[in-house]
Amino acid sequence: MSVEVLAANLTTKRPRAPALTLGRDRRWLLAVPMTLFFLVFFAFPVLSLLAVSLDKPMPGVVTAHGDFVLTNYIRFFSLPQYYEAAVRTLWISAVSTLIAAILGYPLAHVVAKTEHPLWSTVLMILVLASMQLDGVIRLYGLMVLLGDNGLINGTLIRWHSIDKPMPLMYNVFGVIVGTVQITLPFMVLSLIGVIRSINPSLEEAARSLGASRWRAFRSVTLPLTMPGLLAGMVLVFALASSSYVVAALMGGWKVWVIPIHIYERISNSGQWQFGAAISTILFLINMCAVFVYQVVASRVAGGRV
Amino acid sequence: MSNSTRVPLIVWLGAGAALAVLLVPVLIVVLAGLTAGEYLTFPPQGLSLRWVIAFIESPTFFGAYLFSLELATITMAISTVIGTMASIYLTRSRFKGIAAMRGLFMSPIVLPGIVLGLSLYVFYVSSGIGLARTFGGLLIGHVLVTCPFVIATVSASLVGFDLSLEEAARSLGAGPLQAFRLVTLKIISPAVGAGAIFAFIISFGQFDLSLYLGTANLTGLPLAMYISLRYKFEPTAAAAGIFAIALVVISMVLSSRLVNLRRLVASTRLRW
Repeated sequence: MSVEVLAANLTTKRPRAPALTLGRDRRWLLAVPMTLFFLVFFAFPVLSLLAVSLDKPMPGVVTAHGDFVLTNYIRFFSLPQYYEAAVRTLWISAVSTLIAAILGYPLAHVVAKTEHPLWSTVLMILVLASMQLDGVIRLYGLMVLLGDNGLINGTLIRWHSIDKPMPLMYNVFGVIVGTVQITLPFMVLSLIGVIRSINPSLEEAARSLGASRWRAFRSVTLPLTMPGLLAGMVLVFALASSSYVVAALMGGWKVWVIPIHIYERISNSGQWQFGAAISTILFLINMCAVFVYQVVASRVAGGRV
Repeated sequence: MSNSTRVPLIVWLGAGAALAVLLVPVLIVVLAGLTAGEYLTFPPQGLSLRWVIAFIESPTFFGAYLFSLELATITMAISTVIGTMASIYLTRSRFKGIAAMRGLFMSPIVLPGIVLGLSLYVFYVSSGIGLARTFGGLLIGHVLVTCPFVIATVSASLVGFDLSLEEAARSLGAGPLQAFRLVTLKIISPAVGAGAIFAFIISFGQFDLSLYLGTANLTGLPLAMYISLRYKFEPTAAAAGIFAIALVVISMVLSSRLVNLRRLVASTRLRW
């Protein structure tokens, strides 16, 4: 662009032209495709599933009728096989969340405190890659490790340390190990940010005032990282309670948790309304976890979250 | 005093244990795919490429791998474009409902994949729009679950963006679109690239949606591996896993060249 044209532009245009791409009034156009897409293919289908869950059970019928009855929900809470599955899902998820927190915290600490640029990048790549790698592939590795003829049992039997394989898989233990493996990266990623944001001089101050390392951690660092820890725990809980593939592969269809029931009711029995109701209950459980998180978080952070 | 000396031993041990939990299963898949024997034993019986060759010759697994690549590429293109556009709006608008919109766009992360897949399937069948068990129907699900990652990555780079740069371009005579293309897009392009890579990889490894939306003709690698794993441990599946692992690692190395991964993770703290 020549100087003359530039000068001409400068003189003809208002000197303080609005900076924003399409002008302030037309900027909303940018959000239109995404909003339409999410309303049509996300909000509407999820709400229709809720409507289906309130229909009278009709095997093989998918379309919502608008009956608005609680038959499916009453059925869920009156049959032990279902409400016990809900309780089982809750405690397996809670235990997995706790283990993920205990394992994830030290790793997040090391990643956050590593100053060497190469090492910090390598650690980040390892954590992110293990989050993004297809869960089925990671479970394959765990199954080869824990199976009855797997690496652990096979090796111990060949060394005559044990006579028969230890039950490491196709039970609750296997599901918990699998869940921790799948969800751990999310816990680490939630913690890295808050741990980095803490001013290290706070802990140093506590130490210089005579606090032991453990004491300084417990009374200074841990409370400050609580928001990230709780956010990570909610995320891990939500992922843990809703994973079909972990329970199917590591539980070998012997550990009946809610996602397995959803799939089984629909694929084997065509009970769409009941399956939709179980799905809604699963979603509500996750929402409850988010709610508990908000209450606890506002209490520990004094409203700083 | 350097930082590393201040990390206590117990923290190192915990971090090592966590890394082992993350990496040992992946290492086992690599070894199982390269084993010379019929299955993986400890210590390994030696290395060979027989299962890798079996994978490339297998119509099931290689076909599924190519299908996943195709689906992930198309998903990436759509999510990156609409996600970047939405991010610009979300970070620059003062509209009151921004938080609710952002919440809507991020919610596929918390909505269980099995519930989303079921909702979409019920929607396709009951509305009769001809998307049930089609490529388009599966693609829509993949776009939904990858968009949050594009928005998180691109928004993070736009939050700290200095608008006066674009104003300067405008006052020097650039049109609105030209200013955007020459200044803003250039500055946020690494984050857009990283967001695209995330979308690609999330789509490539997506399993839960395919439970309801996948069919025999629409089988990606995760579903193919799941089906084979229910019956036996095929080393061919592990060899397929090696190619998926390679893809993820290369993608992450590429995105680490584009954005500072740790800063990105720190800035996109999840909020509820």
